[in-house]
Amino acid sequence: MTLNQALALINSRKGNRGNAVYSLACGFEPLHLATLLRAHLLERLPGDGNVEVQSGVYGDLRGNIESAARTAATACAVVLEWSDLDPRLGLRSSGGWSNEAKADLIANCIERYARLEAAIVALAGRMPVALAPPSLPLPPIGNTIRAQSSVLELELEQQLARFLLPVARVSGVRVVERSRIEAPVAALDARMELIAGFPYTIPFANSLAASLVDVICQPAPKKGLITDLDGTLWSGIAGEMGVEGLSWSQEHHTQTHGLYQQMLGHLAGCGVLLAACSKNEMTTAEAALARKDLFLNAESLFPVCANWGPKSASVGRILDTWNIAADAVVFVDDSPMELDEVQRAYPGMTCLAFPGKDPAAVWNLLGRLRDLFGKPELMEEDRLRQSSIRASAQVREMAAQGGSAEFLRTLEGTVTLAWQVDQADKRPLELINKTNQFNLNGLRLGESEWQRLLGRNDTIVAVASYQDKFGPLGKIAVLVGSQAGRKVRVSHWVMSCRAFSRRIEHHMLDSLFRHCDAEEIAFAFANTEKNQPLREFFAAVGVSPDAEGAYRILRSGFVDGRGALPHEVSNLTE
Amino acid sequence: MNDTKERVARCFATVFPDIRQDEIATASMESVAGWDSVAHVILLSSIAEEFGLNFDLEEFRSLVSYALIVDFLERNSAHG
Repeated sequence: MTLNQALALINSRKGNRGNAVYSLACGFEPLHLATLLRAHLLERLPGDGNVEVQSGVYGDLRGNIESAARTAATACAVVLEWSDLDPRLGLRSSGGWSNEAKADLIANCIERYARLEAAIVALAGRMPVALAPPSLPLPPIGNTIRAQSSVLELELEQQLARFLLPVARVSGVRVVERSRIEAPVAALDARMELIAGFPYTIPFANSLAASLVDVICQPAPKKGLITDLDGTLWSGIAGEMGVEGLSWSQEHHTQTHGLYQQMLGHLAGCGVLLAACSKNEMTTAEAALARKDLFLNAESLFPVCANWGPKSASVGRILDTWNIAADAVVFVDDSPMELDEVQRAYPGMTCLAFPGKDPAAVWNLLGRLRDLFGKPELMEEDRLRQSSIRASAQVREMAAQGGSAEFLRTLEGTVTLAWQVDQADKRPLELINKTNQFNLNGLRLGESEWQRLLGRNDTIVAVASYQDKFGPLGKIAVLVGSQAGRKVRVSHWVMSCRAFSRRIEHHMLDSLFRHCDAEEIAFAFANTEKNQPLREFFAAVGVSPDAEGAYRILRSGFVDGRGALPHEVSNLTE
Repeated sequence: MNDTKERVARCFATVFPDIRQDEIATASMESVAGWDSVAHVILLSSIAEEFGLNFDLEEFRSLVSYALIVDFLERNSAHG
């Protein structure tokens, strides 16, 4: 995007309603970076609303970060440059580059990093932070030729890495990968830096703005990957050449399949659901997956569907087992025909070809998979997802067959309700923002809105965790509301699809009545394309619209209609 | 209006979206309310991008009206 294109886009939205506010914290004049950041945000955000980018004062990065933390911005882009650590590392200083000055600036940077870290940690407690490390070159103060790194430069880079590592571990902080800022020209515009205090060429500022927006506005990660077997997970056709004839190694010139297996193993470790869908005899597929030299734990593929029917039918069964929507799933196959058949059946699914004979294309595919499944931070629930999916499928199947509270009691389940939320815990907000099926109204919340909600005296929040004899599911549901007298109004209520069929939602409502000593609960319900499971629950327990269209339930009505509650409940109020 | 004038006028309209078309020909740092130092950098950067050139420090200081900018670009183009 050019500067003029960015300005034209901003002008085209002038006067539009729906201002989303973002912060840009930098130590230089924000100028074109602020313009380009705003334009990329406008391009990325849905609808034709407007965006405001707030920035601070020249020369005070830390102060600008602290100011941003006092705003209600949706997110903040923090752009660090060497001159923010010590002005002598920029072009506008006359502090000198003597040996004494160099020793001093090394010491100075350590102190500046510590202060910046404290400010960024505080900011990340308020809103998501995209942190861009320095992009500009250091001044030519090394004793070596430019092609050779000097000790001084390496020391400064080491200090930077020591700063970034703990900061990247802070929940809410997302560090921009410098090597991914793809600009057609160098970053530094020395002329503009001296004229206006803006250090970047416009093409570089555009690339930096795009990267910052990529990091701030990340799409919801996909949840599951369905892989083909023959020609994809391995080279060869199991039914024709036998299990021992299959290969996925460098030795057999089929390492691209080995790389793909390793990628799937990595994704499984990040909590991505994996399943196999193959036109094969089940016994053949099982025998191949039992090979000990697979680079992937075959147990992480669940379910495995091997048959001679259309793949779309197998994919449908896998989606039912996982209980997730097609648009949260990636399907990988080496056959264009199979990809087309599945894509036609599930237009929302991401269907990708496995180009096994083209190493460069496979490498690109692995990068694409990283982008499709990548998320800002991993949580305990991600680790649990893989192990709980088999149990969840089993529970749903048994509940569907028997459907009784008697069966559910055999699970020996415990629902733990936390009525106080740790503000640093990102899981409740993640649930609110990614859950579709059991979702009261589909309303999403920004980090700062969430923090404000938690700070209100009348807010009620319940975070439910669950475990049974099959193991823990982690935090799987969140309910948010407010109380006035003996009436409670629920504004948000979501539950992970992994927790369905266990009557956890019945326990939550029962506990809400008890915890608040409420006589009536009203719900800010809205029909969405996907919240059928919540509507079914409402119908089952008797939540229905009154004459004014408000969804309510009385305690007496709920107690009569809820049925038996099968689990132990533990309430945490501290 | 020739091509240079039109292109400069378009940059003015992009950077100062509230300016009226009939005000552009006489626009200067004194006459346009929003033309401060930041807007000046944005305006000259917009024009530099449009014409594929760079202004030096002295030009940044001196090109403070529509007329001066058009005159500079036409002279530059005639010499160029």
